[in-house]
Amino acid sequence: MYADAASLPRSRPAIPVKLPVAAVILWFGALIASSVPWFGELDLGALISAFWTFDPEDYSSVLAHYSWAPRVSIAILIGCGLGLAGAVTQQILGNPLASPTTLGVEAGGQFGITVATLFAPGLLAFSPDLAAIGGGLLAIGMVIALTWRVGFSPVTVILAGLVITFFLGAMNMAFLLLKGEWLGNLFIWGAGSLVQNNWGPFTELWPRVAVLAILMLLLMRPLQLLQLGQTSASALGARVGLIRALALFLVVLMTATVVSRVGVVAFVGLAAPVLARLLGARTLGSRLLWSTLMGGGLLLLADTLARWASTWGDGSLVPTGTATALIGGPVILLALQSFRNTHHMPGQETSPAGFLPKRRSPLVVSGIVAALLLATVVVSMGWAPGLESWHWTAITQWNEAWVWRGPRLLAAILAGVALGLAGTLIQRMTGNPMGSPEMLGISGGAALVMVLIVLSGAEVGRLGQLGGATLGAAGALGLLILLARKHRFAGNQLLLGGLALYVFMDAGLRLVMASGGTVASQLLNWMYGSTWLVSEVEAFGLLGFTVLVSGLLLLVVRPLTILPLGDTAASSLGLSVSRVRLLLLLLAAVLTASATVVIGPLSFVGLIAPHLARVLGQQTVGHQMIVAALVGGLLLAVADYLSRIVVFPNQLPAGLLAALVGGVYFLWGLSRHGR
Amino acid sequence: MSAFFEVSDLGMHIGDTSILRNINIQFREGELTALLGHNGSGKSTLLKVLARQMSPTRGDVSLFGSSFRTTGAREFARKVGYLPQHPPGTDGLTVRELVALGRYPWRGPLGRYNDEDRRLIDQAIVDTGLAQFGHRSVDTLSGGERQRAWIAMLLAQQTRCLLLDEPISALDVKHQVETLRLVHRLAEERELTVVVVLHDVDLAARFCNRLVALKSGQLIADGSTREIMDSGILESIYGVPMGVMERAPGQWVSYVH
Repeated sequence: MYADAASLPRSRPAIPVKLPVAAVILWFGALIASSVPWFGELDLGALISAFWTFDPEDYSSVLAHYSWAPRVSIAILIGCGLGLAGAVTQQILGNPLASPTTLGVEAGGQFGITVATLFAPGLLAFSPDLAAIGGGLLAIGMVIALTWRVGFSPVTVILAGLVITFFLGAMNMAFLLLKGEWLGNLFIWGAGSLVQNNWGPFTELWPRVAVLAILMLLLMRPLQLLQLGQTSASALGARVGLIRALALFLVVLMTATVVSRVGVVAFVGLAAPVLARLLGARTLGSRLLWSTLMGGGLLLLADTLARWASTWGDGSLVPTGTATALIGGPVILLALQSFRNTHHMPGQETSPAGFLPKRRSPLVVSGIVAALLLATVVVSMGWAPGLESWHWTAITQWNEAWVWRGPRLLAAILAGVALGLAGTLIQRMTGNPMGSPEMLGISGGAALVMVLIVLSGAEVGRLGQLGGATLGAAGALGLLILLARKHRFAGNQLLLGGLALYVFMDAGLRLVMASGGTVASQLLNWMYGSTWLVSEVEAFGLLGFTVLVSGLLLLVVRPLTILPLGDTAASSLGLSVSRVRLLLLLLAAVLTASATVVIGPLSFVGLIAPHLARVLGQQTVGHQMIVAALVGGLLLAVADYLSRIVVFPNQLPAGLLAALVGGVYFLWGLSRHGR
Repeated sequence: MSAFFEVSDLGMHIGDTSILRNINIQFREGELTALLGHNGSGKSTLLKVLARQMSPTRGDVSLFGSSFRTTGAREFARKVGYLPQHPPGTDGLTVRELVALGRYPWRGPLGRYNDEDRRLIDQAIVDTGLAQFGHRSVDTLSGGERQRAWIAMLLAQQTRCLLLDEPISALDVKHQVETLRLVHRLAEERELTVVVVLHDVDLAARFCNRLVALKSGQLIADGSTREIMDSGILESIYGVPMGVMERAPGQWVSYVH
């Protein structure tokens, strides 16, 4: 009856050898690297015994006992905890991208501490855990509330988590810009510093981590059922919602406990499970075990690297969080190369989304949006707070007000238009509603080049910046294409790649922040899109440029409609796929770069505008593009206006406001439409 | 025979769309029932309601006389097993590990697996002819084998009822017949109640002893295979002129005019 059974392995598949070997190499490497500086001063026995005793006569021994040993211990402890939490998170959501970092839990914890520092310092003195747990729960609560209606579909959860991470990051940044004097130290701390000077934190931390780890392990069997997807898991009698909620709560507790002690140690929770899985940890049990071990080793290694960098550099502090991000990036890229089939994620339902695309007349919609844009321009030019009260500037005096209000407004609108167009291009090209210049790290690539320019101290004009940013954006896109080519632009591979690029940029940024100084504030201003830096010439230059590129876009409307049907269908319709794709990539890169120079890399406009255009009923490429461009312009025009008036006479960066407002809108839209 | 499921006055709406209307039906113990109907007729939805994957907008379903609303999740899973239309990827689980998950309703989150569990798991694997594949990853199996692995998981669940949503739609003829024959055999050996959604009316007539048809969310035909395999009734189910031949006693062939 079943004749097609060939000769097959009869024994149980064993754990591949490379897994323990890699773990041992990682741990030994990290431990040796960490203890190398001490070899000259202490012998091996004394160094090992530094973990529990010291020789009061010997200064090195005291130093090793109170500084080195607790730091090593806490790095391993936190690494293990985060590795386990990451593996559990991935299992809960059936999603190789999930981790405390990508769900916004770490950003939430940091946000909680920031808020507590500013408004309730007493709470921090009482228990820093509470503030961090509150923030973490807030973040995960937002993610859950937003994705509740769509049944926690893994992709949506990650999307919501990422947006919330960016959003809370922007909130943190807003606080920093407004009350910088209070929060300077928070930034070093926020970047994850593991410096220890006694055993107190460790003895306080380990019982909590141990209890949380045991609780997580108790949930192992129900978690295993989640692998079968929601339907089958509940058909087996598991309360899927309850299990997920409980496990997520434990993850939040674990993460918040860590964040409240040492700050954000990003991406260990992502990198460790990814590494364990890549090396062949297959069953849930082995994944949990090896992720825990990998996490400990990874963080110890990262911490050692950070300490070396601090010693070898010019004495400026390199927080461990930066080093983990630098390790996290390559690990994600590695994952990108090796995950064969992540677009079909376990547990993902294949049924179509319960979302019926509506269509509305493009003329009416674009008319309304254009009218709103016009109204914003009029208000922005005319109505402003003065020294005493708000007053109107008569239209005859606009030529006088132009110098102050015109160029920045024009530049903001154009950046919005460019981002709207670029976002539509990328979403259509990748067939991924999450694709956008921000999410795919294309803005990040542009920003990375800008950061490098600022760091090198070279003075380049706007044109140089634009060129550099274009180069960065194109480089990022090119890298993405190269990495994702063999996956044919499957959504999650691209997202992973973008995430890795974002991690790199973020690491660079944190490094600059931690070192402080004028460079940092300059970069901070630009990063969050300070439109007041724009001059008249630049604004008009941008206008010409955008018009030119928009003209080119007419050429690609139809290919862009065909491309999502797949390479085979597209080429059999006579489209030269690779050439069209190259053209599209170039256009998207140029548009992104020109917008990034003005508004910074972090506004959500490139993600929101195309999405909003769809919600407004524009389903065809051409219509979506026009409406997305208008919506993008409108969003940034409003943001620019608000940035001028909200804290008058001071100014906020418009990009930051756009990120805040846009983040709120996007989260709301997500919960309503649940793509 | 007592009623296994009793569906009374069942209605289901999503938005303004009515998917099921006024369904009253009983499924008796030990019966192998096929749900027929064209696409969008509501048969999958009815099956999901029976599996408690969806809760109906109105009406009630009871299992052995006790309402669905009062049965606990694991208690329910010990009586009813459900195979979704597209089982998800299993991410590296081996066949044996997948089948072992079927013991969850009995052992819960922390209970230890004993020899009895292991025996049932082995038995389920042998019964579905997967003995050689026990330690292979489910994702590397062919479509038919993968379907059997999932059915093995339902068997290890030791339920008295199987709800199968189009279990053969992605298989070739050979594997379709093999899978249905397996279900038929298991239903007889283990005295299972089976409700299966099928597209192929001939295969349904061949392996099931009761056929139930839905159209636009309403019950339009319900009876033994002999009663339903009639050109007039089939025509009313599928909306195309059809004929039926009885090739041999108990074996019908339908065709489109």
